[in-house]
Amino acid sequence: MTWQLFIFMLINGLCQGMLLFIIASGLSLVFGVLRVINFAHGSLYMIGAFLAYSLSTLLSGESLLGFLILLLVIPPAIAIIGFVLEVTLFRRVYREEHLLQLLLTYALVLILDDSVRVIWGGDPRSVTRPDLLAGSVDVMGMALPSYNVFILVIGPLIAFGMWFLLYRTRTGNVIRAAVSFPDTLGALGVNVSWVMTSTFMLGCWLAGLGGVLTAALSNIDLGIGMEKIIECFAVVVIGGLGSVGGALLGSLIIGTGLTFFQLPFGRWALVFPYALMALVLVIRPWGLFGKPER
Amino acid sequence: MDHMTSSSRTQWISGITLIVILFVLPVFLNEFGRTGEYWIWVSTEMIIMALFAMSLNLILGFGGMVSFGHAAFFGVGAYTVALLTKKADLPLFLALAAAPFTAAITAAIVGWFCVRLLGLYFAILTLAFGQLLYMIVFQWYTFTGGDDGILGIPRPEILGPTNFYWFCLVLFLICFFVMKMIVSSSFGLSIKTIRENMERAKFIGINVRRYQLLNFIIAGAFAGLAGGMLAELNRFAQPDFLHWSKSAEPILASLVGGMYSLAGPAIGSTVLIFLKIFLQQIHPSMVELWAIVLGAAILVVVLFAPSGLVGLYQNIYKKFQS
Repeated sequence: MTWQLFIFMLINGLCQGMLLFIIASGLSLVFGVLRVINFAHGSLYMIGAFLAYSLSTLLSGESLLGFLILLLVIPPAIAIIGFVLEVTLFRRVYREEHLLQLLLTYALVLILDDSVRVIWGGDPRSVTRPDLLAGSVDVMGMALPSYNVFILVIGPLIAFGMWFLLYRTRTGNVIRAAVSFPDTLGALGVNVSWVMTSTFMLGCWLAGLGGVLTAALSNIDLGIGMEKIIECFAVVVIGGLGSVGGALLGSLIIGTGLTFFQLPFGRWALVFPYALMALVLVIRPWGLFGKPER
Repeated sequence: MDHMTSSSRTQWISGITLIVILFVLPVFLNEFGRTGEYWIWVSTEMIIMALFAMSLNLILGFGGMVSFGHAAFFGVGAYTVALLTKKADLPLFLALAAAPFTAAITAAIVGWFCVRLLGLYFAILTLAFGQLLYMIVFQWYTFTGGDDGILGIPRPEILGPTNFYWFCLVLFLICFFVMKMIVSSSFGLSIKTIRENMERAKFIGINVRRYQLLNFIIAGAFAGLAGGMLAELNRFAQPDFLHWSKSAEPILASLVGGMYSLAGPAIGSTVLIFLKIFLQQIHPSMVELWAIVLGAAILVVVLFAPSGLVGLYQNIYKKFQS
């Protein structure tokens, strides 16, 4: 392997990882605060991708403005769907056992995925990249797709934004307090259920953003929700449930791992996320960055 | 032994009546030609999926362990039958007898790791192992046929649709009574104790991990048998048999039927399959909406009747009596 190929694959792997991080961090954040593993996160991501497709056909894409509108409109739309789901359904099972919570979110997967099938049908779709991001960038004599570079820029921005929000703002203090001491937080006069709702919306916003970014990266079809949610599980488990930093590390490991293992192992590389996930759970169930359960 | 109470006597009578009806059913259905044959096929599938649902409930309802990887053992059983009959030319009965063993061995390996974890982490690890096995079956073209699966599993001459139905019914009844014995044995009681209070179970000297592992293996073995039977019914095995969404099916069946009784999951599974076929019969395009209907039904059960149909029936029955 030449070092040029190495760099090329590394950048591609990191790009995959960053995209995965944007989606998985939402799942992890929601788990941290709500203690619910949301199977439907993948479905919301898929709805984001398909909505992006529909809106782009209306906007006659290819212009940068159209793509920016997608990025500004779709994620909040998914967040609003999340708001409705949280207030009407999730809120009622926080104090129930894990099984009922999992089944509730699984029921949502069935309903949402099938709705996507009914509305958009089974054909693969994609969003045309805006002209500015359709070409390639010349880096050290290699032509990198500029859209991948764009995701490589967006990913760290989101990571930094989340770090800033969680560790440098009062909102972040409240969210982190809701993770550790929800009852104390309530006693201090903070509306905990509103904190939960907004965290859930933020998680859904991230799922929607991931959806829009995916729709312009590759083809989207009915399977991407189910596929992505399992990858997100792997990421979140490897990094540690509820840890956003862990989600970043997990995503990058899986993204680069998948890319690099494809060279010697071909399609068998797809086994890697599950094997790593099982390995981490066996050796260190709380993940690389997480803490053992109280 | 105390003498039989009237409610357990009604249970016995209704149970035996049900078994008789189940045995006579195909004779009746055969009167309807092609449609009847279709319904015999559907009934056979119902019996097999009922066994699968009951096998999961040994760990879910009785053991209190949520597994999202149970389909892996179902799939291993299916592929055991497919590979042994197709590639090793073994007779069906031997292959079917081998299915629970290969599934149990797989469950022993997977379970050895999984029982070390609790609650949510147990659920996720079973999911991870299940998907790992799914991926292996999906990718290993030379051995499992990859995503094409294995087609054309041979069927012995004597096993026509009706005979195969009876064959499955007998296997199901044997499994049902074995499970009943397991559940009401001292082992079964220990498993329930662990579900109710793990700390206490440890205090009174129950080796929690060993009991959970044993239960996990037993459940896996029954799932393997069910998988083998389904492979023979469909005459193919495909990777989807191991997919995590297949693992969700018996969980939903247990939820709908009620997971604190032995027969609950079987009833739930049958009701769900019947609903699906019923929708299909109303209008073919309704199949598209099946998942939405199923999802909505689960939402209703989760929010309003978490103890399932059996729980609902017991509540109504109690009200009726008082």
